[in-house]
Amino acid sequence: MAASAVFRREFPVKGGDFSKAGTVACRIKDLLKELGLDTQTVRRAAIASYEAEMNVIMYAWEGRMKLAVSPGKVRIVVDDRGPGIPDVNLAMTEGYSTATPEMRELGFGAGMGLPNIKKNSDGFQIESEVGRGTRLEIIINTNGHKP
Amino acid sequence: MKDKKHYHAIHITQDKCIGCVRCMTACPTKAIRVKDGKARIIDERCIDCGECLRFCPYDAVHSHTTSFAALDAFAYKVAIPSTVIYGQFGSATLPNEILSALRRVGFDEVYDPSAICELNTAAVEEYLHEHPQPRPFITSTCPVVVRLIQRRYPGLCAQILPIEPPREVAAKILRTILPKALNLPPEKIGIIHLTPCPAKMVSINSPATLKKSYLDGAISIRDIYPEVLNALRKSQDDALMRHLFPETLFSGIGMGWSLSGGEIRGFKSQRAVAVSGVADTMRVLDQVEAGLFQDIDLLECTVCPDGCVGGPLQVENRFLAKSRILQLVDAAGDRAVVDHKDVSRLYHKNFLSFDHPVTPAEALPLDADPARAIAKAQRREKLFKKLPRKDCGICGAPDCWTLADDVVRGAARLADCPFVRKEKR
Repeated sequence: MAASAVFRREFPVKGGDFSKAGTVACRIKDLLKELGLDTQTVRRAAIASYEAEMNVIMYAWEGRMKLAVSPGKVRIVVDDRGPGIPDVNLAMTEGYSTATPEMRELGFGAGMGLPNIKKNSDGFQIESEVGRGTRLEIIINTNGHKP
Repeated sequence: MKDKKHYHAIHITQDKCIGCVRCMTACPTKAIRVKDGKARIIDERCIDCGECLRFCPYDAVHSHTTSFAALDAFAYKVAIPSTVIYGQFGSATLPNEILSALRRVGFDEVYDPSAICELNTAAVEEYLHEHPQPRPFITSTCPVVVRLIQRRYPGLCAQILPIEPPREVAAKILRTILPKALNLPPEKIGIIHLTPCPAKMVSINSPATLKKSYLDGAISIRDIYPEVLNALRKSQDDALMRHLFPETLFSGIGMGWSLSGGEIRGFKSQRAVAVSGVADTMRVLDQVEAGLFQDIDLLECTVCPDGCVGGPLQVENRFLAKSRILQLVDAAGDRAVVDHKDVSRLYHKNFLSFDHPVTPAEALPLDADPARAIAKAQRREKLFKKLPRKDCGICGAPDCWTLADDVVRGAARLADCPFVRKEKR
């Protein structure tokens, strides 16, 4: 039982589809609530997955968000096919953004996305290859803060 | 059947229900099932929004409000109507005529709520000014929004603005002053809200933020409408009097409170956004939960379309009612009738605050044990794949996903689905 006790779901995200912005994050949040996770964990996961979903919509061509929940841990892996990030360290700086004026007009691209994801997760990894895409791994422990 | 844990104002009249699926598919929290040919409400999921009441073509959904006869228990009867009432009787009828008609219908006194609404706006502005965090705060005027947050967005409970809505503030003020002024014991004075909203009764009988409501009941505008109309018709002289000698100065800031955006209209220095309708409210609360709207000070949410003026228990066509109220708002302009020193005094005495914060309602996870909840979620995915995804409602659940959910929770069987049954044969 313990070994199989991982709940997995995969969600596609389409780049540029602003009309669907937030739907995957919302599904993830509802699932976590149904799995009985505490309010704080759900909230952190909601914020992190929303930001991650928005990054795919804003910058990539397409992506997948993979959710895996086991007792004690939420893992979200976001894989996208897209332009990639030339300087990951720079992209992790608060306030740094490559958002277009149009995106900013819509209220996006304040340069808080990646730092905000990191802030709301207990484990965070990012790999990116220019011209190919970006992979994020977000881990949130369900009982308490940073291990 | 389990004992009912929560008080609800919405009920289904079994004799009238024909077991169609309209209320079930309209319910935003998926709280209705049709079993054995009758609709049933799941106690823990219902937020008393009244959507089912709007959608039922057979008049089988009714709301429990105070009856007019129940007022006989009080020696002195006071009415605090919602400003929605001013939009119910056409554009030639003045607010004062309506208040006067209510007196003739049987209330000893009737108080216009617009000034109290203005007082609330001023108090909220002061509160926001003193509390820079968190953002956004969410208004508590709509009792359905409070219940929706308790059940579906428990993480947002701390963002509910802890200022009582005008109906409670008005009742509290009257409850403090009237017994002395009238020399009557408090229990002999009945303070009644007149409302287009089924959920007000819930907020009175089981308040989420008060130990006890200051109101004694709520009469629906729909129930009192014929009596008021009759009183208005019989009083041509009174109408002339009210037109020529208007007594009450209405607050321009408070008059539009029953329209979406009305609560935030009086704000000078705060950034506020108004949302109405249950689907849009849920969409926006989802976004707030994902960390958006943090640059907004106040979010006004009302689940009825266009605000309280779209409440299911009003009578007039909602668009006409709205147009009439907008006329009155225009006529009153930005007229303020409340002294800000009074607001500040009441606010700092905590006279306007909640008794206690809003607390999350009991959540309904798939299972209390995390590993078992995960197993059930896995099983639900598998079951869902077997279902036809027609969301027809014949099984008694509003859609295929909810049937799969009910099955893993032990509340339904997969064979309840007629398509699955047919395949098996």
